[in-house]
Formats: sequence, C-alpha cells, structure tokens
Amino acid sequence: MSSATPSPDPRSSAHGHHKRHSILPAVSQSGPKPPVQFSSSCTIADSALLTGPHTIIVSTESVIHPRARLESLGGRVTVGRRCIVHERACLGAADLQGRYHKGIPDKDGRSMGAVTLGDYVTVEVGAQVESGGTVIGEGTTVGIGTRVGAGAVVGKHCTLTANSTVAAGEAIPDYTVIYSNGLRRVDKRGVSDLKNKAQARQIDVLRRMIPSNPAKFQ
Amino acid sequence: MSRRPPRGEYIETDTGNKVARKATLVGTQNIMLGGKTVIQPDVMIRGDLARTIPPAQSASGGPANNTAVAIGRYCFLSKGCVLRPPGRMYKGVFTFMPLRLGDHVFVGPGTVVQAAQIGNHVHIGAKVVIGEFAIIKDYVKVLDGSVVPPNMVIPSFSIVAGQPARIIGEIPEGGIEAFELRDLYKTVGNNPQPTTS
Repeated sequence: MSSATPSPDPRSSAHGHHKRHSILPAVSQSGPKPPVQFSSSCTIADSALLTGPHTIIVSTESVIHPRARLESLGGRVTVGRRCIVHERACLGAADLQGRYHKGIPDKDGRSMGAVTLGDYVTVEVGAQVESGGTVIGEGTTVGIGTRVGAGAVVGKHCTLTANSTVAAGEAIPDYTVIYSNGLRRVDKRGVSDLKNKAQARQIDVLRRMIPSNPAKFQ
Repeated sequence: MSRRPPRGEYIETDTGNKVARKATLVGTQNIMLGGKTVIQPDVMIRGDLARTIPPAQSASGGPANNTAVAIGRYCFLSKGCVLRPPGRMYKGVFTFMPLRLGDHVFVGPGTVVQAAQIGNHVHIGAKVVIGEFAIIKDYVKVLDGSVVPPNMVIPSFSIVAGQPARIIGEIPEGGIEAFELRDLYKTVGNNPQPTTS
C-alpha cells in the first residue's frame, strides 16, 4: 500500500480542510415526494431514494441502506418489521418494458399496493422487486441482482439466490430455494428462527452504523 | 465569460488514484486505495460497513485504522460495480470483515463483490456476483455472469464460470501477461493516453 494516510481523501488539500467522509454525488429528487409512515425505530439512510405519489410504509426496526430505491409509482410500498433493504435495490420497480403495474385488487376491491414485504425480509444489492401487487413472504432473502416479476407472490423463508428471476404473477411456495439457472428445491433445514434472530442482531449493528435521517422524507 | 477549464471526470490524487466524481464512496476514511487505481463512475464502495470489534491487542491504534475495504495497486473498478464488505455472526455479534483486493485486479461492469479476499492479477468479468467470504487467489479469471457462491475458495490460475461458479479451466503458461493493468490505467482519466498496440 503506497498511501501513508489512512483516509484516501481524493480532495486532499494541504490546507487542512474538514475531511470529507463520503463522496456521494448528489441525486436530484426525481418525481413527487411520497407520503411516508415511518416507525420511530427504523433506520433510513440519508441517501435513500423514495419517490412516487403513493404512501411508503417502513415498519419497526427496518433498515434502508444508502442509495436504496423505494418507488411507489404503482401503488403503496410496505416494508415489514426488521427488514433490510440493501443499496441499489429497488422496491416497486418498473418491469423490463418500463411499465409500473398497478396490481389487481383483491376480492374486497382493496388495492394490493405495489410491493409488500413481510417481516425479516432481506432484499440484497441491486435486486428489483417489480410493482403490481408483489408480495414477499416473511423471512425471505431476495438475492443480489434478482428480479421478482410484477404480481408474484413469494412464500415465507424462501431463498432467491443471486441473479435469479421470478416470473410475473408466479406463486412460490414457502421454504423454496431458487438457485442456479432457475432450479428449485425445498429448504428443509428448519433454521427459520435462527435466521430471524441473526437478522435481529444484524439490525442492531446496522442501526449504529448507518446514520438515519427519516426527517428528510417526512 | 470566464474560461475555466472544464472539471475533469476524474479526481487524480497524489498517489495516482483516479476516482470518478460520479462514483459513490461511502465512509471514505475506511477505504484504502493502493495507488494508481481507477474507479469509474457509478461505482459504489461501502466503507461505512467496517468492523465494529477492534482486535484486542491494538488498543491504541484500533479505531484510527479500521479498514473496511483495502484495494491494491493498479486496480480497475469498472462502471456500476459494488464493493461491499462481507458480514457474519462472530462470537454472538454481527460483524463486517474487511474486503481486501490485491494488485492488478480488474472488476467488470455491474459486478457485486462481497468477498473476503481477492489476490493479485485477478480478472473479474461483467455482471458477476461474488458471494460473501469467498476467497479468490492469484491469477484467476472469473468469466462474465458467474455467481461465485459464499465461502468458495478459488485456487490460483483457474478460470471460473457458471451459476454456481465452477472451475472450468486453467490459465495457460503464456497467459500471465494479460492480467497486467498498467496499460489500462493510462487509457483512463482526464488525460487519457491512447492505447499502445
């Protein structure tokens, strides 16, 4: 390592300026500012991107990493309790043609909302969960770069590994693992409780690491 | 009208690092760049996910040098890639471990790297996913679109592809020079030199 200084501040000036802690190019607020309902204990990073006319709900102790996108253009976005949404993930994304689906109302005529995440869900880097009544069950992990089609209903405690795809409208049973190029198998380990506990521990650590700024969005 | 020179796309540091202005570096005090490293626009490096338990021995130097991401010399991070330290439960607490890249590492566009350690002279293709705590040794070529599962160890001189990634070949005897990134470093930046063919 050739640099002697511990922090590689590229704008290192000899004047001893206040050192910059992050290089975050400003992202303009494109689109309407959504009405939000944040729980008091959730962690929303300052550079999270929330757009859309519909409500965005983030429940107790959930963590939204910097540069995560929550788009409510197709309907309401609900994030459950103790969820983690990683950077560059998008909840309520448009489909590959660029349309934001609205979702078929359920039998009572109420709108399904764009995206609903159960409790303890993890949405990893770059995952795209399309809008249109998409439901991700409790404890599911949506892997890196995964695309969940509009209106899909993913069961509880599923694992969608990296770069997998769930077709629009598909229903995935509980405890399914989607791996390789679309192969499926059932997760018989019975570790759902342990995974939930580990997620709670991870959230404890993340809450201290990520400076939360919910007031910016309210 | 003032005729200031247009701001370059890259910031060039004293040690020769070329960091794009549009790159997203979170927690820069925990990111170590080796020197002559290129970071293209839309790259995201999470330096804020640093280890929270400092090693017990270094009580005095603990928090001052808490590296989350350490990158070697002549590395090339292409557009849109994400470097993120891996995390796991360690002694009852969830901790992030440092992500270490060696020298002459090429990371392709759109790739997500969550490995624990990447050796020297590694070429990672486009849209690759490297799972948490993977260890990639020296002189490895990861082909485009591979998904390296968590905890995989890729030995030196392998060629790796697939989802999940498997070793599909070996780097031939004469293939070592292809990993050098010095020439690629010169072609990027505010004053790019044309490629010498």
